[in-house]
Amino acid sequence: MRKLWILILKEIRLTFRDRGLIITMLVTPLVITLVIAGAFGNGGSGLSDIPVILINKDEGFLSEELVNVFAMEGVTPLVQLEVAPNSKEAEAAARARVESDDVAVLVIIPSDLTSRLYPFSETAQEILGVDFETWGEGETPELTEAEWQALSMAYVQSQIQTPAPSEPAEVVLYASPDWRISTMIVKSIVTQGLTQLQLTTQGYDAIVSRIIRAQMASGDLSMSDQDNAQAELADTFAGFGGSQGAAELEQSYDLPIRLRIKSPSGRGFSWLSYSAASQAMLFLMFAITSGGRTLLAEQEGGTLPRLLITPNPPLTILLGKMAGIAVTGLMQMLLLWGATSLVGAYWGAPVAVAISMVVLVLCASGLGAFISAWAQSPGQAGAVGTAFSLVAAALSGTFVPRPNMPAWGQTVSLVTPNAWGIEIFSNLQNGKSLQEILPLLGGALALTVGYYILSLIGFRRQFK
Amino acid sequence: MALVKVEDLVKRYTPEGPNAVDGISFEIQKGEIFSLLGPNGAGKTTAISVISTLLPPTSGEAYVNGHDVRTEPMAVRQSLGVVPQDLALYGNLTGLENLRFWGEMRGLTGATLKREIDEKLELTGLTERAGDRVNTYSGGMKRRLNLAVGLLGNPPLVMLDEPTVAIDPQSRRYILDWVKRMKDEGLTVLYTTHYMEEAQELSDRIGIIDHGELIALGTLDELIQLVGQQETLMLQLWQGDGLADFKEAVQALEDVDQASIREGMLVINVPSAEAMLPTVLSQASALDHRNPRAEPGDRLPAPYRPRLA
Repeated sequence: MRKLWILILKEIRLTFRDRGLIITMLVTPLVITLVIAGAFGNGGSGLSDIPVILINKDEGFLSEELVNVFAMEGVTPLVQLEVAPNSKEAEAAARARVESDDVAVLVIIPSDLTSRLYPFSETAQEILGVDFETWGEGETPELTEAEWQALSMAYVQSQIQTPAPSEPAEVVLYASPDWRISTMIVKSIVTQGLTQLQLTTQGYDAIVSRIIRAQMASGDLSMSDQDNAQAELADTFAGFGGSQGAAELEQSYDLPIRLRIKSPSGRGFSWLSYSAASQAMLFLMFAITSGGRTLLAEQEGGTLPRLLITPNPPLTILLGKMAGIAVTGLMQMLLLWGATSLVGAYWGAPVAVAISMVVLVLCASGLGAFISAWAQSPGQAGAVGTAFSLVAAALSGTFVPRPNMPAWGQTVSLVTPNAWGIEIFSNLQNGKSLQEILPLLGGALALTVGYYILSLIGFRRQFK
Repeated sequence: MALVKVEDLVKRYTPEGPNAVDGISFEIQKGEIFSLLGPNGAGKTTAISVISTLLPPTSGEAYVNGHDVRTEPMAVRQSLGVVPQDLALYGNLTGLENLRFWGEMRGLTGATLKREIDEKLELTGLTERAGDRVNTYSGGMKRRLNLAVGLLGNPPLVMLDEPTVAIDPQSRRYILDWVKRMKDEGLTVLYTTHYMEEAQELSDRIGIIDHGELIALGTLDELIQLVGQQETLMLQLWQGDGLADFKEAVQALEDVDQASIREGMLVINVPSAEAMLPTVLSQASALDHRNPRAEPGDRLPAPYRPRLA
């Protein structure tokens, strides 16, 4: 054990005295994390086939128009829409699918959407019929005086009813933090739909007001007891204006509706946190494979053969070397954890993060050992290590959120420590506990065992 | 009792490849300086690697301090210090850190380790530079440190593999003097070199190795006498597949001291090449090898002839 510790200390000394390695291991990942977080902090670019579930709790006619937005040309390639029934069970199931990253966004249309957006709708439909908005210029319905009076009264009241209810209705986008870019796309679709609804209600108003004005002009409508209301009505007509612009995460319209994005943990996706973990994994891979390369460099340089003829079992020498590399990698992860936390990254519950780091460093050092065991020279190990690290990073979701990667990429990447690292840290960042990520840690450990078995076979071949 | 005993040792790196060490046998007595002299690629480093347990032998036996290299590798490693041909040091560690690390890996601790380090620093003249990184040392200083590491713990046997390659004359002199001092202190040294004058200056006995074979073994006087009395005859057959049988037949002839196959040619050591040629040719004819190409060979591998003469 003492010899093992001596070898580990030697490895740490050699690593931390190498300025080039320090830049690679610590400075570069930190800078890249900050750059990526700065560049993508407010969203990203396009995608397709975003899995979306929609639950429409509103029975009014306006919500149908919102649902139809997802079927518009230009929107259909972006979204794979699944409309779920309006029931508690269906909503719970949909939420669970978002939480498991199976679905990007659950859109919930509130039950009072139509009544909030267009309080007059019920009376208008009752008196004028459901298709009143299709009436053209000059067309007027044949109504009794009582119907005209009821219609004009309801209309005037709907226009002068101020202020609006204190709490607007909410269209909720229940979104997975890992599907940040997809969520932004769905949000813009829904925003477009809400803007469309606003224009629609304004159109309805215009039609009804035209009908009422026409009736008043013909003298058929008695306004004896509604002078004041008529004045208000005139003001209201003058006040029709343009549409509202889109806002960011939360948007309130003049119309009493609000768009809100919620995530399962209550903690939104953070590019800074995601990048901190994924970049740390990438540069851990660089450091470990570079450490593995030094095993071959020591073989070539003569220090490894010299070690192997000291009175120590060869396995101790090999373990000491690999343990040294692993401890160095762990120190790198801890330092990056600390540094990125200082600038605002969140990694998850500290104990779970620390344990995960140990497991992932073991996994990465297994890969380093595997490459060293099968490479023919330090140069080959370096080239293979760098290439593997970059490909693994790309497949695993270091540069694009992992759930946005194609399914085959997500599956293939499970042979890399990066994928397990990103899965584990994403879950911890989303508020999962150590217990909840145990299966993932088990997966990473299984991969570690696999790497070390293959490494032992390679080392036996190399040092027989 | 011999501190090192090597019997018919063979080392082949691949099953089909040539023998890097081809059946060598020798003993090194306690307190003796024994040199393996031979050109680059002769098999010196491979022989040392097998004796030091770094490589397993293909066949044959090797013992160090009575311990079998195959079955008791840890005991063998405990009995020897190796100064490799490469500078096996960590350049980013200081001289002191290198000595401490290698000393600890040899099992030295506490006051013993400190005493050993101080002693070796003084011997190498590196005390002043002990706190500097090895990367900043000159080539000669690195060689001296490399030597000091091999001597940590004063092992009974020290194996030096061409320790004077590519260094300045002053450092070379320093190392040669140090090896002589080792003998005075009772250490046993196995020294490999391709410089005849080094072997001549240091050694009690010299083994000349070429193409993996030990072609001569003895004291300096014995070798000079041997070289002076022998000539080499080289023969090449038109049909190469009968070379092994031809070698056996020639080996059995009177006056043939040694026969070996080297690069497709039969190399024979004889008192007189001219006198022996008709006998050898008739032996070839008897084995149906007609008109083999014959030429006189070097008495010893080329680098040593001028110096021995």
